Amino acid sequence: MMILTVKTLISAVRAPYPYGEELVWQLLFVLKLSWFPLMISTFALNLGAPGLQAAGVLSLFGALDRLGGFFVVIAIRWIGPLVTAVVVAGVAGTAITADLGARKIREELDALQVLGVDPVKNLVVPRFLALMIVTALLDIFAIVFGLSAGIAAELLYNQPLGGFFATLFSNATITDLWASVLMCTMFGAIVAVVCSYKGMSASGGAAGVGRAVNQAVVISLVAVFFFQFVVSSILLATNPELQAVR
Amino acid sequence: MIGWLAVPRGWLDSFGEIGRFGVRVAGLVYSGRVFKFFGEGLRQAGILIFGSALIIWAFVFILGLQCGLQGAYFNRSIGAPSLAGLFSAYCDLREGLPYAFGYILAAKVGTGIVAELGAMRISDEIDALEVMGIQPLTFLCATRLLGAWIAIPFLYLVGIGIIYAASFLSVVNQVGDVSSGGYLLIFWMYQSPPDLIFSVIKGMTMATVIVLVGCYYGYTASGGPVGVGTATAKSMVFNIVAVHIIGMLGTVVFWGANPRAPIGG
Repeated sequence: MMILTVKTLISAVRAPYPYGEELVWQLLFVLKLSWFPLMISTFALNLGAPGLQAAGVLSLFGALDRLGGFFVVIAIRWIGPLVTAVVVAGVAGTAITADLGARKIREELDALQVLGVDPVKNLVVPRFLALMIVTALLDIFAIVFGLSAGIAAELLYNQPLGGFFATLFSNATITDLWASVLMCTMFGAIVAVVCSYKGMSASGGAAGVGRAVNQAVVISLVAVFFFQFVVSSILLATNPELQAVR
Repeated sequence: MIGWLAVPRGWLDSFGEIGRFGVRVAGLVYSGRVFKFFGEGLRQAGILIFGSALIIWAFVFILGLQCGLQGAYFNRSIGAPSLAGLFSAYCDLREGLPYAFGYILAAKVGTGIVAELGAMRISDEIDALEVMGIQPLTFLCATRLLGAWIAIPFLYLVGIGIIYAASFLSVVNQVGDVSSGGYLLIFWMYQSPPDLIFSVIKGMTMATVIVLVGCYYGYTASGGPVGVGTATAKSMVFNIVAVHIIGMLGTVVFWGANPRAPIGG
């Protein structure tokens, strides 16, 4: 997997760039598959977990306007990238593994190599770049829907929205947003490499493709969660301005 | 090239069929017809425990670390670091654990079932079962549901212990704003046995839906090796959204009207 990562990075920047068309195609493919599951998932998760649970506790204190500050922590720093990664791994990652695995089983990849076409450059690199771009885009989308779920939770408790927006904007920092988007880009890279690797090393007929998809999605989920824990530990510990009271 | 509305349209197409299939399989378990193959059910439970337990618990552990970390820093930012226990009690038991459990169950168990049953369907083994006079739906799907119902409550309860330990580690040992006694006082104060039962109900609903969706997509797979791969991918998409919707509905039903916190009157 590491070898594949290095190979992908090298052939992404080295001179001939034959993957432009495939890149656009993959971008559209991932966007078209992911936007609807992502919308429902972020809205449901943000309405349930931080929205209603936190609003329940805050309403006991009569401090529902503080929900905005809480949503900075949850929706932007944590759930936005997390749900984007889960949905992209589950939707686009599985599709990539199924696609490449089927090609491997039908020996199309070997045929490509015989024809002198590098499968890494022509198949893996466009998927890698497309997932990196799309996860960053979808992260913004996820944050927007997460915040709209927060607004819905406020409205369920019959609160004016001014307090929510005031605490939201006073607590949100540029660092938060950048960290969220960059984290998501890395998630896209992880998912793409894991799923491409598992797809390209599938073997054993119909059962093999299914097993490859299974392993790919498990490995990418665990890797993404672990990576997020490490990144947010470093981010929160090294940026004291994220811990200030506002 | 697929259209922008392909995913929602596909769900509308298959939602009723998945529902009917699920009710049929659950009916086979409830009517006791599955006990003809009780040994197979136990074997499926064993496969679940030996094959998936470790990865499920590892995943839950990572999410527990993350819960504690975010909670500790959030409580520091509002100037109440000693209340980190409140955040992690809610995050662990009520929300984090069901979601983590749902994700990894969908990824490991759900897609695993699709891959297994799909391969059987492609190589005509399911038809062969029918020819031999064994009802494939009972033998393959109902036993898997029975095995899940036997094994998963225990996996879930152990997962609760693991996620608690992980949050403790990251709040007390990694961030270290609060002593272990102070953390545990708040942590145990903000949860009660009904919360535990609600959480288990949430997790079990997710597990049931995931196993049934996996069985449906595997049982109806078609179109060679490519078809198995596509069915596996489709089941994952459906399961992720189902997990989120069940999680939200569970929160609304169990804690929506009453936050069950020991504050005020």
